Amino acid sequence: MEKDALKQQVKEQIVKFLNLNTVSPADIKDDEPLFGEGLGLDSIDSIELIVMLSREYGINIQDPKEGRKILTSINTMADYIEQHRTK
Amino acid sequence: MGRIVVTGIGIITAIGEVLSEHRTALMNGKSGIGKAHFLRSKYIEKQPLGEIKMATAALAEKLNVTNASATRTDLIAFYAVQQAIADACLSEAVLSDAATALVGASTVGGMCLTDEMYADANLPDQSASPYLQSYSNSANTLFLQQQLGIGGIVNTFNTACSSSANAIMYGARLIKNGLAKKVIAGGVDSLSKYTINGFNALMILSDKPCRPFDAGRKGLNLGEGAAFLVLEKEEDAAGKNIYAAVTGYGNSNDAFHASATSADGEGPFLCMQRALEVAGLKPGDIDFINAHGTATENNDETESVAMLRLFEKVPAFASTKSYTGHTLGAAGAVEAVYSILGLQNQEIYPSLNFEEPIASTMQVPVRKYKKTHLRHVMSNSFGFGGNCTSLVFSKI
Amino acid sequence: MYIHQHTCISPQQTNGLIQLEEISISADGKLLAKEPVLEGVPPAMLRRMSKAVRMGIGTGLPLLKNNVADGIIIGTANGGMEDCIIFLNQIVDYEEGLLAPAAFVQSTPNAIAGQLSLITKNRGYNATHVHNGLAFENALLDAQMLISGHSHKSYLVGGVDEISSYNYNIDCLAGWYSKIKTNKHLYTDKTPATIAGEGAAMFIVNGSPVNALAQIKAVSLFHSTDPGTVVGRFKDFIAEWAPVADNTIFLSGENGDLRQTPLYESCEEVFGSAIPVARFKHVTGEYPTASSFALWLACYALKEQNLPPHFYKNEHNLSQVDRIIIYNQYQGMQHSFIFVTQ
Repeated sequence: MEKDALKQQVKEQIVKFLNLNTVSPADIKDDEPLFGEGLGLDSIDSIELIVMLSREYGINIQDPKEGRKILTSINTMADYIEQHRTK
Repeated sequence: MGRIVVTGIGIITAIGEVLSEHRTALMNGKSGIGKAHFLRSKYIEKQPLGEIKMATAALAEKLNVTNASATRTDLIAFYAVQQAIADACLSEAVLSDAATALVGASTVGGMCLTDEMYADANLPDQSASPYLQSYSNSANTLFLQQQLGIGGIVNTFNTACSSSANAIMYGARLIKNGLAKKVIAGGVDSLSKYTINGFNALMILSDKPCRPFDAGRKGLNLGEGAAFLVLEKEEDAAGKNIYAAVTGYGNSNDAFHASATSADGEGPFLCMQRALEVAGLKPGDIDFINAHGTATENNDETESVAMLRLFEKVPAFASTKSYTGHTLGAAGAVEAVYSILGLQNQEIYPSLNFEEPIASTMQVPVRKYKKTHLRHVMSNSFGFGGNCTSLVFSKI
Repeated sequence: MYIHQHTCISPQQTNGLIQLEEISISADGKLLAKEPVLEGVPPAMLRRMSKAVRMGIGTGLPLLKNNVADGIIIGTANGGMEDCIIFLNQIVDYEEGLLAPAAFVQSTPNAIAGQLSLITKNRGYNATHVHNGLAFENALLDAQMLISGHSHKSYLVGGVDEISSYNYNIDCLAGWYSKIKTNKHLYTDKTPATIAGEGAAMFIVNGSPVNALAQIKAVSLFHSTDPGTVVGRFKDFIAEWAPVADNTIFLSGENGDLRQTPLYESCEEVFGSAIPVARFKHVTGEYPTASSFALWLACYALKEQNLPPHFYKNEHNLSQVDRIIIYNQYQGMQHSFIFVTQ
């Protein structure tokens, strides 16, 4: 899959999985932080996204701290998914 | 007005079925956390748990309960309540009196029967299961009310893991305000797929026995239990065995996050401060703290920060969750009982599995059983939704 | 204890502009609450809220914006139940596998009180009472005790419950709700079961009578399945708190369930024929904290000095409303009396 298509897909999945009613996938910038500032996600969202990575891409992350690095931005997520996806 | 005193105790957890067994385990540093035998969940292979060493059917038989809709939660609550009532010599006439109140607490109520609940919830045309009415938050208090015929005010608290500390506080206030003369107050939770999966999803369960306040702590172990106190005015308790006085209680909300405590421990700080105010005590008067001490990364550090803020010199403290696991809605009442046991016997029970202090706070819990002089003991309970409660018990 | 402000979300037009002359009709045995657009709630929080939490925030937040409250006290029997079911379904569907935790965190009934405090940074007293049909009454008692001796302290007190598919299915199966009953013929269609409802009502209370909307003189709650005990307790309550029945409305929780109607009627008879009887379950449906709506309606009646005709059960010549006695019971077991005056 093309990287840009993957990024678009991840954005759509994030909006759906986290129930971000007021956000459209296009609003999420590739390099903007997902947590704290930026999109304003919190620690529960980070675990929700770890679950999403498992269900959608077969990626298993055990340590939430490691997860937080992967989930920094759409760019870091797409990079990690490309390298580690099992489905 | 005279003090509000504790004249009856009933408790059941992984470390004992009667009060004396709990004290023996605590004195000997003997934890009840290990492999669960009665819970049905795939996590029993991975997670050590503080399970009560009795099957649900055995509990029902022992209690002579034939009601098919009684859940494990109902039964362990009833088990503890019966002990408390016998201990305080409350007659049937007293129980049915309009001045006798019952205040219960639980976090998941009837949710212990996850699979049955699932069927009930999703197959609305299925014939009614006996657990139909057991789902509610108040199911176990309603069960106790029916069994005991309580005539006065009955209530159930659910403020997550501080629930039964709040129930005890509410009970003491009912007496103080003249709305009840005798109060049975406490809480219960049984192990369930629901909570194990929930805490596992939050990634705060430890796959090893929990290590409260240790730098290498990996999370909490879940446990189950029930504990109830009988409270009354000192002047109404003449001739009874009095364990301790309930002198302080305070509650606050941390107003920070749905499932984590703020870095400066504002909620815990405020509830401890308010409990001292109600008790008319200074921080230096507290001789021991039974800490919330869940052994999660967040709790133990923020609780330490709050203690450091309030106390010039942090009193001796320990977490008995290293014996029972985190009994959730029962934890406040279970730990109130252990605080009272310590006061009554003038002794401190050690925290288990501690090796190295948290670098940022450097607080070391009590590690060895010791006889000591205790006047006032504080017990902390904090829950999801930012709910923080402290109780203070004092020597008679 | 005095009520100074209130808000109400219900199946009727009770939030903002109040219109109770014409009432919404139930569908499929349910009266669903009309939800307002929530203002002042961070979108990140809003997306995780169930209807119960949204109704609680929608009624509580406007009051907390205008008042400094010393604490937040909520009564809710089933707050969080919908999220319980979302999480429970995950446990079963994914066979205890990797699960998303947000629903678990939101499933705790104290999510309403917790989020109100989180949004308004209220670090005061925070309590959630969940004792089913007496959850709201216990919240009132809690506030009353806090105010006693501290009359300057103000608290937000409220009752909230939603119709979740889960508790609705179970309560239907248990025979409490009927899918064919309507609120149009609620009291004349004499069958067991009633219609389901939901809503939230919140109040700012303190110990000061200055500019108060109403005074709550007494709250009494107990459990019994014996009609004789209920009437006995009611007589005691009246004798102690409301011996004068002039300009008084008896606000009854009658819900059309023929098994429960005699309980309400025997309490009515305590007054002889002398007192106007009003009912409200045809506008709210039945839910465990419906008495919070009754208290809101009592405040409304005191302010308007009357109620629209459809509320009254009997003919009356009431020209002035000074006192309201509320009797509500839940599932034949949990009973409460609340006495409200000018």
